[in-house]
Amino acid sequence: MQSYWFGDVGENGCTPYQGGPEALAKRLDTIKISLGTFVPFDWNDAGKCSFTPNREEYIRKLRELCFYLAEAGITRQYESRDAELLQMVRTLDQLDDVSNVLTERALEWHRINNPGFSRKYMRLPKQKLLPMMKRGGSPAFRQIINEIENLASARTALMKEVSRRADEVVPNCSALLGGLVAARLVSQAGSLQTLSRLPGSSIQVLGARTALFSHMRGGTPPPKHGIIFQHRRVHNAPKEVRGKVARVLAAKLAIAARLDHYRQELAPEFIESAQAMIDNAGSAT
Amino acid sequence: MIWVENVLVSPGEGGVYGERMLKEYRVWDPYRSKLAAYYYLGGEFALTPDMVVLYLGAANGTTVSHVADYAGTVYAIEFAPRPMQDMVAVARRRNNVVPLMADAAQPERYAPLLEMADLIYQDIAQPEQVTIAIRNRIFLREGGRMLIMLKTRSIDTAEVPGVVLERSVAALEAARITVLDTKWLDPYHKDHAAMLCSIGPGPG
Repeated sequence: MQSYWFGDVGENGCTPYQGGPEALAKRLDTIKISLGTFVPFDWNDAGKCSFTPNREEYIRKLRELCFYLAEAGITRQYESRDAELLQMVRTLDQLDDVSNVLTERALEWHRINNPGFSRKYMRLPKQKLLPMMKRGGSPAFRQIINEIENLASARTALMKEVSRRADEVVPNCSALLGGLVAARLVSQAGSLQTLSRLPGSSIQVLGARTALFSHMRGGTPPPKHGIIFQHRRVHNAPKEVRGKVARVLAAKLAIAARLDHYRQELAPEFIESAQAMIDNAGSAT
Repeated sequence: MIWVENVLVSPGEGGVYGERMLKEYRVWDPYRSKLAAYYYLGGEFALTPDMVVLYLGAANGTTVSHVADYAGTVYAIEFAPRPMQDMVAVARRRNNVVPLMADAAQPERYAPLLEMADLIYQDIAQPEQVTIAIRNRIFLREGGRMLIMLKTRSIDTAEVPGVVLERSVAALEAARITVLDTKWLDPYHKDHAAMLCSIGPGPG
């Protein structure tokens, strides 16, 4: 006997399954198949079955089921809790890019009309630089500066949201890295599931692709850190131990990512011991 | 296959992905579709209205829509959710397309939904592309054909494409799949080869 989506086909005729797409889908889940022995359904043998009058009807029912399955599958993929976090953090990084490019351009424009503008103003923080440039610009110029300022405030709002979401979705990684960097790590890996399957050594250099490949091709020293460099304990560490801190942090992150993916809740005792080990790596000489 | 003024077209309702129309026919662009390129380069295996096609790696469903214009029934398999959304939209407008969201490397997951096919068409950019084709051979009817679009750069970035093709042919032959014809898809698709195969008797 062989089970298909529409029913079982055996020596003495076939038993059709009853029910709509949902019921059929459920039943489909229970069919286990070994490729070695499976005989695919052949429409030419359909005469043995009286489950459906003609091919059009067969395809119509099958399509109904397949649309149901495809839509359920797509929803399931997008529902995974990290899918939105991923888009959020990528939007955030892209906002930065856009705002920087626009600011640079506006600055070039501003200099044309202000011969007295010198390098010392470039060192001003953006919040001070932009209002200064706005004074005396043309209406369109002022409008563009306003837009850049709006982008900056959208960025701040988004950043808060990203941190909050990361605390929910990847609580353990966030506890070690901070929400924003943890979210970037997930984004770089592609998904939380992928991240949770990476070894610590891969996590350590995630985001340092160029350096890693130039090392593998030969010649250059290996990268010590990728995205995790953005974490203060890595970039504040003295140069001699920075690689060591990155390595210990990455190893702990590999565990944290697995906790996040499979347990989906904060593990305080793990975080405590991990923090201690990372601090230890930074202080030991 | 239908040609209008030396342009490959397919009969069907237009407006699937913004394709041009030519005298009521949908223009099938060889630069976008590997199957169209295969026909432009003299590929002889023609699609007919009585055919059941198993299409592995359906992506956004652009080529699928043209295949469906010619063939009887198309089982379109795609794994990634984003292209699958587009594919479902294409399938809704063509009632001979059955969309399946599944991993072509795991036929046992979707086997109960399929039926015997006359053609297995594969366009998957995966290193284990050939293994995937072999695993799906059980769905091929006796006398049926397999058309594999080999993306040599996905199989081995560093190796010479010709060598990758030779190795793939050898792997297929070892699984008792006879390679009848191979064709490079230059200039339409770089480092891609079309392999037309038939299966011999014996276990898969």
